[in-house]
This record gives sequence, structure tokens and C-alpha cells, in this order.
Amino acid sequence: MEPKAISLRATGRGRRRLFVNRLAEGSAVLAAAVAVAALGIVVWSVGSRGAGALSLDFFVKGPSSSFFGGGGGIAPAIVGSLLLVAVAAAFAVPVGVLTAIYVSEFSSPGVGRQIRLWLDVLNGFPSIVIGIFVFALCVKVKMPLLGIGHHQSAIAGGFALAIIMLPLVARSSMEVLGLVPDHLREGSYALGVSKWQTVLRVVLPTSLGGILTGTTLAVARAAGETAPLLFTCAIAGQLVDWNPTHSVQSIPLTIFTYSESADPALHQQAWAAAFVLIVFVLVTSLAARLLLDRSRRRLGLQR
Amino acid sequence: MTKRLTILIAAVSAVLVAAAAATAKGNDTTITGAGSTFVQPLVSAWTGGLGSAFGYNVQYSGVGSGAGIAAITNKQVDFGASDAPLTLAQQSACGDCVQIPWALSATAVAYNVPGAPAHLNLDGKTISKIFLGQITNWNDAAIKALNKGAKLPDLKIVPVFRSDGSGTSYNFTDYLASVNGEWKEKVGVSTQPAFPAGQGAKGSSGVAGLISRTDGAVGYVDVAYAIKNHIKFAAVRNRAGKFLFPSLRRIQAAASAFTKVPASNELHIVDPPKSAAFAYPISTYTYVIVHKQSAKATELRRMIFWALTQGQKSQYAAKLTFAPMSTVKPVLVAAEKTLKQIKS
Amino acid sequence: MLGAMQATSIARPPALRRTRNAGDRIGDGVLYGLTALAALIGVLVVFAIVWRVAEGAWPAIRLYGLSFLWHSEWNAPLDKFGARDLVIGTVVTSFGAMLLSAPLSIAIGLFLSELAPPWVRTPVGSLVDMLAAVPSVVIGLWGIYVLAPFDAQHVQPFLGAILGWIPIFAGGGDKTPSTVFTAIIVLTIMTIPITSSICRELFLGVPTELEEGSIGLGATRWEMVRTVVVPSVRGGVVAAVILGLGRALGEAIAVTQVIGNFIPLKHTIFAPGDTIASRLANQYQGAISENQVAALIYLALILLVITFLSNLAAQRIVKRFELQRTGGS
Repeated sequence: MEPKAISLRATGRGRRRLFVNRLAEGSAVLAAAVAVAALGIVVWSVGSRGAGALSLDFFVKGPSSSFFGGGGGIAPAIVGSLLLVAVAAAFAVPVGVLTAIYVSEFSSPGVGRQIRLWLDVLNGFPSIVIGIFVFALCVKVKMPLLGIGHHQSAIAGGFALAIIMLPLVARSSMEVLGLVPDHLREGSYALGVSKWQTVLRVVLPTSLGGILTGTTLAVARAAGETAPLLFTCAIAGQLVDWNPTHSVQSIPLTIFTYSESADPALHQQAWAAAFVLIVFVLVTSLAARLLLDRSRRRLGLQR
Repeated sequence: MTKRLTILIAAVSAVLVAAAAATAKGNDTTITGAGSTFVQPLVSAWTGGLGSAFGYNVQYSGVGSGAGIAAITNKQVDFGASDAPLTLAQQSACGDCVQIPWALSATAVAYNVPGAPAHLNLDGKTISKIFLGQITNWNDAAIKALNKGAKLPDLKIVPVFRSDGSGTSYNFTDYLASVNGEWKEKVGVSTQPAFPAGQGAKGSSGVAGLISRTDGAVGYVDVAYAIKNHIKFAAVRNRAGKFLFPSLRRIQAAASAFTKVPASNELHIVDPPKSAAFAYPISTYTYVIVHKQSAKATELRRMIFWALTQGQKSQYAAKLTFAPMSTVKPVLVAAEKTLKQIKS
Repeated sequence: MLGAMQATSIARPPALRRTRNAGDRIGDGVLYGLTALAALIGVLVVFAIVWRVAEGAWPAIRLYGLSFLWHSEWNAPLDKFGARDLVIGTVVTSFGAMLLSAPLSIAIGLFLSELAPPWVRTPVGSLVDMLAAVPSVVIGLWGIYVLAPFDAQHVQPFLGAILGWIPIFAGGGDKTPSTVFTAIIVLTIMTIPITSSICRELFLGVPTELEEGSIGLGATRWEMVRTVVVPSVRGGVVAAVILGLGRALGEAIAVTQVIGNFIPLKHTIFAPGDTIASRLANQYQGAISENQVAALIYLALILLVITFLSNLAAQRIVKRFELQRTGGS
């Protein structure tokens, strides 16, 4: 006698469970689609409005000096942003990397945890409060160490950006340094190499890729910050200025000012500047990821 | 890799240091200033003239009158610019600062009302009631009464004010306080008044921007910004009963009604008396604020004198609706007298 | 016995030479000193900021005391300052953004880790990552010219029509572009990338054996997520959400571009408002008196406390979930 074919279709409770599953999956996909669509619209808006407004003048010229004239560009802002980021990195990278070395090579786990905690707290501070702090510290009074003060400057602005960069650089460096396998260090000590030589010649080179990754990500973040610059580096001239003791223009502040104006020509420039900023951030993030992959591969080979 | 990296970092730093050293020399003829966005178009126009006359590189930043006063008080800039005179507290904080009126213009009442007549009349009482939040729709009876026969749309009024410290706010509230006692009591006159209704925007261009993208908006902004951005502005009734748009002649008429200059140079020319029949009622001087003693005293004296004389010529001032300072001789004389107090 | 242990004289070995020379010792000391100094600087900066802010706020604290928190009038010329409406505005915008962004971020995280086919995963994942790095001023720019008009003309009237009977959603028909609601949407868009990328990492980190085991026992994908994935990442997800909240609380620029900068707050989110960070950005530079400066720094102090507390809450919750997961289960 032939066995009866058994239906594999779900019935009763099984069917209900499948239905709930499909509902849940559908909602997740829908929600994700909504959110991704919103994000996509942002990128598309900046891309379509910004790319169209780019021109050689935009990169090379400064703002138009005539009140009624259009045209001009954001060259001073581009130069100013480069200067600010350079100053910020000069402050933040050494302090961040050295802190990471301390936590991973010298300190006890308890102290390391404390330091990580306070750096996390620093990371959570609103950037505008950091701007007010640097204003009170450096701009309002004469800075005894740096000799500048009583006026806004790229150094003050860079210092504020450095405070924002510091937790990012330190944290990512700590992670990477922690990934360096102990046998590398132990081998070095066993050969009689001193601790400082070990750190400089063995540990750091191995983790350099990861440290650079963290630095580039922090740089990308600092390049886009506006609030810390409001009080430390906002009163600036209209010409390209390479002097860090002067206050300089910056791309985020330019976008901020132009975004609120009524002049459509300035709106165009704001979109174009936003486009430039996003491309810069994108390129640095990609570079960071490439560096990270490279350093991970290196560590993998050496493991 | 480390070696290449170190070389790269060293090279970049070397370039930066060299550049800084090279540009550090250009310090002695750079004059920095900050403050009023009201006078910013004029100061920008002056930079070319000052550059060719004396070789000065004037760097001006429009951050608002309030921030300008703070900046010059903290000696962050060489001169501050403000449409609002210094308060007593600010004067004592600033120490040896003097304020010198160096330009003369007016505040327009700009609006964005699709469907409104091309020529809109308003008077001080109505404007103050709008900004007090007491008149909320464009087809209100009060506005209709001033614009007989015009069709006004049923549109909510959105008052727009300056959210930052603004000399234009000072000028506007100065006018509202003199035409409406309730305004004087409730809100007062200040660069940062607590407006009871509406929305705020940063800077003159911010206000112009917010007005142009909000239907039903009405706000106060320097005449030059309204003209530049093609925003309509209202004809305001003066004490003589005439509804007038701001223009050079009418600003001059308002200024000419006030010839006494106090020792502090603080001048109020809003709501001029009936005798100034063709005066625009929301006109104002704007001041440059400098320390009497400073390293750049000579340059500042030259710059301000040039501004008071050459800078008032039509190619700079009239184009931007700034009336010449020579309109009211006593004011020019007082300005020049104060100028003499600036020494190294 | 002891006699047998009479020691024959063993030649004394030569004294051990020190194997580390002076250079090494100095080098070690210098490195230790430098790194310890750097770590100290990092931690000191935190205290320096808190100290300076508290110091600057002290005149206002002395003048207004704690009642600063529940007075709502902010009138600079009359020296009347009260933080109530600004605190409410800060909390409402940030929590509103968190309420919207949390489910969306979790959905994106689930989508990218469990549901999406590989050809979708990479581009969407890259899009989300890219947006995490977009500066807030750009999102604010987009907010002013793309989002606000759309909100005013379509979203707010629509929501106002449906939910207008609830007071907090009244007035949607006014079509005001610069409102608390627009600010909430802007903040949501800012926080989704951060929160969702952390969620994605968390979901990917759940051991596949657990997931496969559950499916092997006959669970549907949703049930697997519910019973295996969610309990193990609950703490991390909460931490990610609160991280986003912290970012939203402190955001000054994007908010000030779209929120309308007006207090006192109306009872509806479809009207202009203001937050602490936005007011600081607007008024700090042009403050008309020392009192106002102190009051503004008092606001900054309150903001610091709020963000610190939310940070602390995140850590507590993570710890509690960790304990539940490892200790209880």
C-alpha cells in the first residue's frame, strides 16, 4: 500500500509563528528602509546641490568683497580648516598615543580603567561647553605658556578641537596596543631589550596602522566641528591666512554663516562647502579603514 | 614605514612653520575689527579704499554688536563696531573706551506676505503690538485700517527677531519703546531683549534669510540687507503722519532733528518730533568703539578719520543707503573731537 | 645528620653584573614619565573643564541658587534668568530624538546583521557609516532647506490632523518651518548612524553557534532574535542608545539652525523652542552684562551635569545587564 503523502505546510500554532516571524521581519526591513531612505536623502541633497556649485573659483578665491556682487569662493576657509586640524592633531595625537602607551604598557588594570572612564566622560562633553572652556582659558586671558591671548586664534581653536579629538585618539590607540600579542613583547624582553626600546621598536611599529586609523577618524570628526570654534576662532579676516596666531576662517563656520543667510549665491556655496567637507570625511574614513585592514593583516601574519 | 612617516610629519611641520614665519611679518598694517552686521557692508566697502590710501589691511568680522562690544572690551580686536551705545556697565568694563558715531542709516521693517499689496503701511503702535504678540494675523483690523482698500491675506504673522546680541535690536526696541509705553515696560530697550513672540535668527543676514523663507514673516533688518535680498519693507508712519520708506533724504531728515550731542556721543534719533515732517522714524547712527590707549592708535585715528570723511562719499555710503555724516555738523564735530583722544 | 651536612666550602660565584646600563634606565624613566604625564593631562582636562565652568557659573549660582532651574523667564536687560524652559527644551528634543532613533537604529542593526542579503549589506552599511561622520552643521543646512519646508508643508499638518487632539501635537496646521519637531527629526538623523553601527556590531558579535542552535531547534528567525540575540546584547543596545542621547543633548549648531530660538515654550512641539546648547551658541558672545555671562555658564554647567548623568546611567545599565546575563543566566 502506498504511504499517504505528508503535507509539510504549517498548521495551527506553527502557522501563527511563521506569520509573526514574517511580520517582525517585514517591520524590521520597513523601519530600516525608512531610516536608510532618510539618510540617503541627506547624502543625495548635499551631492546634487553641492557638486553643481563647485568651480575653480570656489577653491581658489576668497569671499566676494562687494556687498552686492556674487561669486567668490571659500579659499580662506579651506586653508583655515587645514591649519586648525593640523594644530589640533599636533596637540591631540602625542598626548593621546602616549596616554594609550601608559595604559597598555605601564599602568595597573585598575588605573587603566579609571583613565578610560575619564576619557569616556570627556568624550561625552558637549562641544560647545569645550568651546566656552577654551575661550575662558586662552582667549579671554593671556595664555602664559603660549604667549598668545586676548584674541581668538587658530591655536586656541585647534586646542579646543584637540580636546575633542583626544578621547578618540586615545581610545582607538589603546585598543590597538592591546591587540599586540604579548609574545612579541616577551620575546623582546627575553633578548635583554629595555622596556622603552621594546615599546618604540616593537610595539609601536606593529600598531602604527591602527593608531593612524584612530587619528584619521578623529581628524575627520574635528574637521567638521563648529561649536568649539564659535568663541575661539570666529572673528577672522577675509583673506587666506597661514598664521596660526591669527584667527582664521573655517569650513564649518562658513557653512553655518552662509546657511542662515538670505542670498541664494551664498546657499550654493554652503552646499558646495558641505559637499567638500563630506568628501573629505569620506576619503579620510576610507583611508582609515584601508590602514586598519593593512595593520590587521600585519598583526595576523605575525601572530 | 615609521621612517617615511616621520619624514612626512617633519616636512609638513617645516612647511607650516615657514609659512607662519613668512606671514608673521605682515602684522603691522593689519587692523582687526568685529561687531555690528548692520555696518558690515559699509566696512567691507571701505577696506578697498583704506588699502589703497594707507596700505591698511582691515579685517572685519560681523558677529553682532553685542559680540563686538565684548571683543573690544577683552581687547581681542583693534576696534569694535556697534549700533547700540555702550551701557554704563559696559562702559566701565571697557575701561578707557570711547564710542564714535561713524555712519548713519536706518532699520527697515521687512516682511514676506504672499498676496500682500506692493505698498504696505504700518505705524509704530501696530508694529509694537505685532511684536508683543497681540496682533497675530495679517488681516487684522488694525493693519487694515492703515491700508485702506488693500486686500490682506488671512495669514498668521510670524515676527522675526535677532537671537544674538544686536545693535539693530537696540535701534528697533528703542523705537518701539518710544511709541508704546507697554513695550517700554514689558520688554525695554536692549541688544538682547526678551521678545514675547516670534522666532529668532542669528545676524542680519540670518534675519533676512528667515524672513524670505517663512510665509507671513515680518522682521527688522538694516535697509541694505532688505534691498540686497529683494525683501519688501513697509512704509512706517512718522509723527507728522506720513507713511515713509527709508531713503537717504528721509534718514538725513531724521538725523537733522537732533543736534545736541552728549559727552558720551550716545545719540537717539528714533521717532523724531513732528517738525521733522519727512523723517524716517527708525533711523540710527552706528558707532566705532576703540580704546583711547592702544598700540595701533595712529592707524586707528587715520582709519576712523578717513571713514568719517572719504568713507562717507556716495560711492561707498549712498550705494548702501548710509547717509553722509556731514548731515549733522555738530555730530561730525563731536566725532572728530573724540577722535583726538585716541593716543598711543 | 646535621653533622653530615657539614658544608664543604663552595666557591662563591662572582657577583652578578647589572645587565641594564644607565641609558636604558633613563630611557625607561623618561618614557614612563612622558606617558604618565600625558595620561594625567587627559584626566586633568576633564576636571579643568568642570572647574572652570563651575567657577564661571558661581556668581549666578550665588545669585539665583537652585531656583534657577524652575524659573522660566529669560530677560537679559532686566537680569532675570531662568533655565526651566531651556532644560525642558533640551530634554524634549533629545528624548524625542531617542524615542524615534532607537527602534530605527535597532531595525537597521538587525537588518544589516541578520536579514539583508550580502549585495545589500555592503552599500547600506557604508551609507550608514558615512553618515556617522557627517558634521552636524551639514545636517543643519539640510534641515533648513530640505527638511523644514517639507515638515512645515506636509508632515506637521498631517500629524496635526491625526494627533492634534493631544495638546503636544496641536497647531500642526500653522505650517511653521522652525519648530521643536523639526529639531527632533534633525537630531534623530544625527543619532541613527552612531547607534545603528554599534547595534550592528553587537548583533554580529553574538556567537553563531547560539543562533544556529536555536534555529536548529526549530525557532523562526524572529524567535531566535527574541530569545538568543536580544538578551545577550540588551545592555550594549541600551548603551548605544544612550550614547546617541548624549550626542543629541549637547548638539548646538544643527539645533539652533532649525529650532526657532524662542522661549517661553508653547505646549506643542509644532512651535519654535530653544535648548541650552542653542542658547549658548546664540547669546554667549554678545552677552550684555557679567550677570548674563554667569547665567549662561550656569546653563553650561547644567548641561554638563545632564550629559554626565546620562553617561553614568548608561554605564550602570550596561553593568546591570552584564550581571543579569552572566550572573543570573
